[in-house]
Amino acid sequence: MAGRLDSFTLIRAGLLIDGRGGPPLERAAVLVRGSSILAVGPEHEIAAPESAHAQTLDFSDRTVMPGMVDCHTHHNGFGDGRAGDDLAALSDETLTLQSARNARASLFTGVTTIRENGPKNATMLRLRDAVRQGVTVGPRMVLCGRPVSIIGGHMSYFGSVVTGPVEGRAMVRQLVKEGADYIKITATGGSTRTSYPLLPSFDVDELTAIAGEARKFGLLTAAHCTSTQGIVNSLDAGVDMIIHCIFREPDGRFDFKDDVADRLAERGAFVNPTLHVLRSRIWAALRNHGEAALTTAARRRMDEDERAFETAIEHTRRLIERGANVITGSDSSWGDYPLGNAVYETECLLMAGMPAMDAVMSVTSKAAKAIGVDETVGSIEPGKEADLIAVEGNPVENLDALWAVTDVMADGRLVERGSQESISATRQLRPASS
Amino acid sequence: MAGRDGDFKLIRAARLIDGSGAPPIERGAVLLEGGRIRASGPEETVAPPEGARVKEFSYDSHTALPGLIDSHVHLIGIGDGRAGDELTTLPDEVLTLQAARNARAHLYSGVTTVRDCGAKNRTTLELRQAVQMGITVAPRLVLAGRPIAIIGGHLSYFGIQATGPTECVAAVRQLVKENVDFIKITASGGSTRTSVRGRPSFDVDELTAIVNEAHKLGRHAAAHCTDSQSIANAVEAGIDTVIHGRYAEPDGSHKYRPELTERIVERGVFVNPTLHQARERVWQLERKAESEMLSEDEQDLIDQFYQGWESAAAFWGRMKDEGVKLVAGSDASWQHYKLGGTSFQDEITAHVDIGMTPMEAIVSATSDAARSCWIDDEVGSIEPGKKADLLVVEGDPSHDIRALTSVTDVFMDGERVDRGNLV
Repeated sequence: MAGRLDSFTLIRAGLLIDGRGGPPLERAAVLVRGSSILAVGPEHEIAAPESAHAQTLDFSDRTVMPGMVDCHTHHNGFGDGRAGDDLAALSDETLTLQSARNARASLFTGVTTIRENGPKNATMLRLRDAVRQGVTVGPRMVLCGRPVSIIGGHMSYFGSVVTGPVEGRAMVRQLVKEGADYIKITATGGSTRTSYPLLPSFDVDELTAIAGEARKFGLLTAAHCTSTQGIVNSLDAGVDMIIHCIFREPDGRFDFKDDVADRLAERGAFVNPTLHVLRSRIWAALRNHGEAALTTAARRRMDEDERAFETAIEHTRRLIERGANVITGSDSSWGDYPLGNAVYETECLLMAGMPAMDAVMSVTSKAAKAIGVDETVGSIEPGKEADLIAVEGNPVENLDALWAVTDVMADGRLVERGSQESISATRQLRPASS
Repeated sequence: MAGRDGDFKLIRAARLIDGSGAPPIERGAVLLEGGRIRASGPEETVAPPEGARVKEFSYDSHTALPGLIDSHVHLIGIGDGRAGDELTTLPDEVLTLQAARNARAHLYSGVTTVRDCGAKNRTTLELRQAVQMGITVAPRLVLAGRPIAIIGGHLSYFGIQATGPTECVAAVRQLVKENVDFIKITASGGSTRTSVRGRPSFDVDELTAIVNEAHKLGRHAAAHCTDSQSIANAVEAGIDTVIHGRYAEPDGSHKYRPELTERIVERGVFVNPTLHQARERVWQLERKAESEMLSEDEQDLIDQFYQGWESAAAFWGRMKDEGVKLVAGSDASWQHYKLGGTSFQDEITAHVDIGMTPMEAIVSATSDAARSCWIDDEVGSIEPGKKADLLVVEGDPSHDIRALTSVTDVFMDGERVDRGNLV
């Protein structure tokens, strides 16, 4: 865009949270030049060059903070409870359209960067093409292309199935060729009907080959792990992020392993516990049945879901205590959790004992670091891309402020978000009894 | 989301145009129940049942009319001047996203029904699937899916080439299996690089096979025709709509053929003249000229357009006067002409510019367009029983057709469209 470098925007902030963890700054300002942040500091110290034509955005009654970073999304999904197996039966075109809708829901609710954890075929790569061509809008996208699975493994229906280290390497090369930014692996089974969530999927030699090949190209790796052996295998293979990180034995027992948690912390691996997707099942059941009308089977399922959620919160608490790098990754729109609601996951991290400022960082700077985009986004610092949001209230005092996003800036431009009514409609409602 | 039975809406407007061509009703009202029109007429004659829940909308200085019907769109088009040959190299996913964007923009501009006259592969059919699933919003879609072309013919890159009556019949059956609403044929060459401009493509036996099969299976057929011979062929084959339809000889000259006009009228063939397509480019260049120098080619293009416009307008005026039913269809987003904004209104305006009264132009974009799309039992006019697709504009388009560009509200299926919804 010609002349963008000469365009300045001065943003006045009643409160500034730069995302780096320091105390919020009152009466601050951010100066944006073109698409990036030029200066940030107390209001009286920040001004556009005198000769320049600067646009001013007055958020002096609001908090300005970095645009949110959601480390774990499924943009193909609906969040209406349908299984991945059924989702994958839809056409690529339908899934791409749904992804575009979800991308807009993310962006309009203040999420300016997402890492997508598993779509079908090339749907997200094509969506990104379309965004680059101006056909639609969306957050910055960090894409895996497709998750790498064993035959019949979790998300194997999305299109990348391999056996053995050689095929593992070949698949990484294929995904890199297609434009993947990182490699997602399903290291255990999951909700996929033909997979075994309590058992590992790949062997360590396969995981090592995949992770090694990714590292060779400078790509990060992330592994879906819904049972303990998968976590251990992934750590052995040098995977960078453990997703779900459920400490569970093949017989179904939950059993937190201190030694594994310590290894996670020492290695500096990131942990994405995906708590709210568990709570969403409970919320959906409450909404669909109303507690009184639950059948015995449904009651039992809800009890199990509640136990799984409470255990996950408790295990996340222990991970945090042991110094693991826990970040926000919503896992929406998977299960019953629709995109546009990333804040619920951060809220669950607060419930697990994460300090408030850390929670904000878990969805900004730490999240950016976890997905390898911290050089460009995640905090409000000179040199970074101008992805920021204005919210009503102070999210460090009350995280609900993150629901009250009034403006979203991406790449130095205010996003046209449309009617409030249409944005509100993307909100997942909290059930009355919760 | 269609309104439900038992949910009433009462829309009052300073003026009501029902789309039939009848004079406007001053201080009119329309009563909607669920997704349909229950009653309409002078305000005092329209009342909801006693005790009914009614949501009221009052438009004091506005005109309510049927939602517009654009009988010729290309939803997958970008409208940035790129050739169809280039457009078709984009992946189906990207084209489907573009179709969704265009569909939404056109709906928000007041168009509640579009007839898509040719898309690549299954893209528009996939869009319809997504609309039915609630993923995105769009006007009512009347779809051709892929057009039927000869080898190398116009739009052949979209996926169907047929040779001989048997393959033509098979192509129609395949499309019907995919649940298209009508059959689009390219009966002459066009902008497609491998097609031969100014010459017919299919022979009459092939066209006849396509049209007969389409009719047998309950679908109408529309043919792209940019020369007189292809028009004559299509009419002889029993075509329902001729698209473009300017009489032209193989050498590019224009010769009026009264006997062809007679046949078109006799057989009740609709003609969609796509008047604004070329002018849109000229308007864009004229805007560009306000701030920068035009290239020689660009200036030539403007000059040529104006040299030809008068005779084109005279031709279409004569067609209309001799009884040809002209229906409005923009042909956007083909070439430089973008869907959404005021694009369809610009085509309707062109109908006034070739000699229609504003009311005739409105009819060409509502009830006649609906007839040409075989959907007039459902939409195209404000009468009891029809779908509640309405447009509310400021001013009086029966006096000044440009009033159609001042869109205040759009109703589709009895629901007010949230035109601010960008999700």
